[in-house]
Amino acid sequence: MNNTASTPTAEPPLLEASAISKRFAGLRAVGGEDGLSFAVSRGSFVGLIGPNGAGKSTTFNLISGVLASDSGAVTFDGHDITNAASDTIAELGIGRTFQTPRAFESLSVLDNVVSGATSPGERLRAAFGRAWRTHESVTVDAAKRTLDRVGLTGRADDLVSDLSGGELRMLEVARQLVRNPVMLLLDEPTSGVDPVLQKRLAALLAELHREGMTLVVVEHNLHFLLALAEHILVLTHGELLTEGPPTEIRTDAAVISAYLGDDYAA
Amino acid sequence: MNWLQIFVTVVTLGSIFGVVTLSLNLQYARGGMINFGIVAYFAVGAYAYAIFTQPAPQGLDQYKFGFGWPWPVALVAAATAALLFAAITGWPTLRLRGEYLALTTFAFAEVFHSFLLNERRIGNGTVGLANVKRPISDWGPIEEKYVFAGAAALLMIATLLVFRRLLRSPYGRALDAIRDDEVAALAAGKSVQRMRRQVFLISAIPIGAAGGLYAMFTTLAQPSLFTAEVTFIIWIALVLGGERSVYGAVAGTFGLIFFEEVVRTWPFETVRSAQIAASVEHIVTGLLFIAVLRYQPFDRIAERMKATR
Ligand SMILES: Nc1ncnc2c1ncn2[C@@H]1O[C@H](COP(=O)(O)OP(=O)(O)OP(=O)(O)O)[C@@H](O)[C@H]1O
Ligand SMILES: [Mg+2]
Repeated sequence: MNNTASTPTAEPPLLEASAISKRFAGLRAVGGEDGLSFAVSRGSFVGLIGPNGAGKSTTFNLISGVLASDSGAVTFDGHDITNAASDTIAELGIGRTFQTPRAFESLSVLDNVVSGATSPGERLRAAFGRAWRTHESVTVDAAKRTLDRVGLTGRADDLVSDLSGGELRMLEVARQLVRNPVMLLLDEPTSGVDPVLQKRLAALLAELHREGMTLVVVEHNLHFLLALAEHILVLTHGELLTEGPPTEIRTDAAVISAYLGDDYAA
Repeated sequence: MNWLQIFVTVVTLGSIFGVVTLSLNLQYARGGMINFGIVAYFAVGAYAYAIFTQPAPQGLDQYKFGFGWPWPVALVAAATAALLFAAITGWPTLRLRGEYLALTTFAFAEVFHSFLLNERRIGNGTVGLANVKRPISDWGPIEEKYVFAGAAALLMIATLLVFRRLLRSPYGRALDAIRDDEVAALAAGKSVQRMRRQVFLISAIPIGAAGGLYAMFTTLAQPSLFTAEVTFIIWIALVLGGERSVYGAVAGTFGLIFFEEVVRTWPFETVRSAQIAASVEHIVTGLLFIAVLRYQPFDRIAERMKATR
């Protein structure tokens, strides 16, 4: 509620979660007594960190409509998206990846990325006309450029099952990027990704940030995240422990004891 | 053995049921929906065709509706009736996943079947509607059975071409994406519910028309023709032919119908041997089914064709 992230202007936040909560079998996953509240301002690069089971992925699921929240409200870009359908939220401009990468197994690598785009050629009526071929070539070009961006050049015609774990993760990023989302939520993008590809990913995220995309990234790899993000939200037991710029979070005593461990301060 | 007669029957019935298998292929293999009540949509088409073409009731007739429409209009009505039935049954069921959808569609078909058995005013109960008129009695030099075979084959080819076109478009790719991973498809902005409903409705149209042709061919719309067994035969045909291509659906149906026709018309010496053959037919169908499931030959062929494309 009181978060201003990086922009001190009066512009309302792009995303605002107010007192959202989620329980699984009676156990609280997100939201303490008063629910979880935070805001993300337009164009900011936010890191979401916290111990295993803190509720980071669940928070993503609540925002993106994969799960319905038990209480609270979420607004995005002036729309009330509380418990809206996943596809509606995606079409409003929220992209997301999953902690366990998801892919369309029966489609080629290129078609996976092409499927990410919402093209008028995909409509039922278009199937019986000629127009879809034009839309298709535009989408395919965009998909190929996106594959280059995530370092999957030359893999376009491969089957998804031929990709490694890290490549699969990059494929999912590409599938969301081709949608040109306003805000992109990434759930542990570096996990299982080798150092070379991680470097490439860091450059890509910095570039997207410069281009004005709003980014929220969940990561346990703090060397990666703290070097990129401007604002960090720290979650424990579904509640916001603290938030602030990376430099403050690094040295915050509460964060060190709840998540980083004493060694990290050294 | 009259092989020409067998050929004509296989083309006729194979095409009529092939249309149903093609529709099931679209629903299941591409749309990811398990419909265990597919016979009901076929039955709706057959009954609609019978009701719209039969004369108004008179004398001892128990049924209340008969419109005496010309057959082309009635065929359209049969397709429309199946579409409406799909809209009504799809609305509450399509939100259900996998096996739940299978159970509800099965239950729907059973309810519909017992409705047909018990409702005299619409379908004339267990007796069914036996007044179905064949379109024209005089086709000139062409024998009527060839006309039927041709009409059924035309409907089947038209269905195949329309479905193939649909599935090769970006719409078909989006369907594949939804079937592969619904959550990821939603995150990619695909309207999963809307597309499922569309596929369910579209596939009902040719099933209804095929039901109409079937009633025309058998001159009968009777509950005993539309039991769950039909649903299972269609499913077996789909699995036999492989789910991956529209051609497989047709090949599987033709193969199955051919096999049944040969056993049915084989000139057995004794009644006993005919009975044995009839039961062996079931066993062989079952074994074939298991073998195909185990080795998936058609899927492999389809895969190879895709790879070399
Ligand atoms: N679908 C689910 N059903 C039941 N419990 C769940 C489900 N999803 C998450 N949980 C529980 O909710 C809590 C928060 O899980 P969540 O996945 O959000 O944690 P996380 O912060 O992403 O952790 P990690 O860093 O390990 O990914 C955990 O206790 C988890 O067991
Ligand atoms: Mg997680």
